[in-house]
Amino acid sequence: MNEFFAALWSGLMIGSLYAIMAIGLTVIYGVSRVFNFAHGHVALIAGYLAWLVAFELGASYIPGILVALAVMVPLGWATYQWGVRPLMRRKEADFATLLLTLGLAIIVQFALLEIFGPRVKALPEFFSGSVNLWFGPISYHELSLVVISVAIMAGIWAFMTRTSLGRAMRGVASSVHGARIVGIDTNRVYGLTFALAFVLTGVSGVLLGTHSYMTPAIGWDWMIKGFIIVVFGGLGSIPGAILAAFTLGVIETMVTLYAGSLWIWPAWLAVFVLVLTLRPQGILGGRTA
Amino acid sequence: MSALLEVRGVVGGYEDIGVLHGVDLEVHEGEVVGLLGPNGHGKSTLLKAISGIHPATGGEIRFQGEDITGLPAHEIVERGIAYIAEERFLFADMPVLENLQLGAWIPRARARYRENLEMVYELFPRLRERERQHCSTLSGGEAQMVAIARGLMSGARMLLIDEPSIGLSPGLKKGVYESIERINRETGITVLLVEQEIDYALRLAKRIYLLKRGRIEFEQPAAEADVGAIHEAYF
Repeated sequence: MNEFFAALWSGLMIGSLYAIMAIGLTVIYGVSRVFNFAHGHVALIAGYLAWLVAFELGASYIPGILVALAVMVPLGWATYQWGVRPLMRRKEADFATLLLTLGLAIIVQFALLEIFGPRVKALPEFFSGSVNLWFGPISYHELSLVVISVAIMAGIWAFMTRTSLGRAMRGVASSVHGARIVGIDTNRVYGLTFALAFVLTGVSGVLLGTHSYMTPAIGWDWMIKGFIIVVFGGLGSIPGAILAAFTLGVIETMVTLYAGSLWIWPAWLAVFVLVLTLRPQGILGGRTA
Repeated sequence: MSALLEVRGVVGGYEDIGVLHGVDLEVHEGEVVGLLGPNGHGKSTLLKAISGIHPATGGEIRFQGEDITGLPAHEIVERGIAYIAEERFLFADMPVLENLQLGAWIPRARARYRENLEMVYELFPRLRERERQHCSTLSGGEAQMVAIARGLMSGARMLLIDEPSIGLSPGLKKGVYESIERINRETGITVLLVEQEIDYALRLAKRIYLLKRGRIEFEQPAAEADVGAIHEAYF
């Protein structure tokens, strides 16, 4: 029984990391209808940057993370204004942005390879030590990951529902023309959405970098996991992505416990296919927030 | 007196299909002007061009004497023109109140949010009752009220209204027209109204234009409108 609770905790902990990763992806899709295939690599940029600034250049951990996240703001803005925006006017915009983001992923991957090399890197844990619960120890680091993730989810929720910019983002997601005729500068909102989503994605890269490891190619794994979570939860839906992330996180650790980690991907894909057969729009599809 | 809105030789359309072939019209402060004409001859395209949703490819559009041709839609709202589309473009998965809040997005409108909200609730008491309801669950008449109210929330000096009564029952149509009449009478907001149904347009408007094959065929005071000629133009 203790193993079960330990696996459940791990599942929720991993789920919270996946949720932060998926929110960035689903926010971009929900507002702009662009699926960012470079999502995992954007997360990696932040992870590697934090590592570079904090440990290679010798600043400490927190400034390293802050620099990495600060870089995400202009990166997101520029990706929209110079990359996506010129393509959005085209009839084949979906296909064009797919190629753009795939191309970006490849460029980032090889740039990281060139700069940092192929060796596996990991960010150190935020805290050492652990606390004993009835089913076993929980590390303070894992606890901090969950606390940070939940705080970010609450923050995003408040931002989307309580601020006028969040409301405008939901408005653009709901009807672009509606947004334009009430006087919203949609290109500005798209740009800010990319900037916000890139920061969130950067946070997820840092958190994943402390929990597992980074290589220039692992961005694909992160993106595909994000893709499954986001489609599972309903493309564009933030609560859907959060729910899906926790569900798949728990499935991952339960499958590892009872069947072995080899079965994680088969189990994920089986659940994914099952859910989409029953509910093609995803579990909470059709709602942004 | 110079016109509030002046449209001179406006050309526009979609892809390679020209729809507007040089439209001239003007609307004076405080007027209700009807834009009549058969479907597919450019009435909606003209409103989309004025509002910047689908910019004109040629000609000139002036508002309050300033050239607004080719400005992005959000800047045209800031100049004081609100476009109430036939498609409505409501934020369907958001409550009525949030639709109205977004209607007051531009800074000038935000400053007058409270007064404008009271004004539209007074005009459409039904919307106060439906405040928390998602727009996707509203009836056609209520959705049209939200569309008009959202346009008014911008504090516009001029409304461009496209077929507000389309798909509504005769009773609701009458209600919509009475509210447009009241908006114009009580607030002095200028209205350019596109309408298929000649009777309504003639009752509400002071002047009418007939738009056919992308050009203005004629302009008449509504009171002396040649109904026979208008009907003829439709066929």
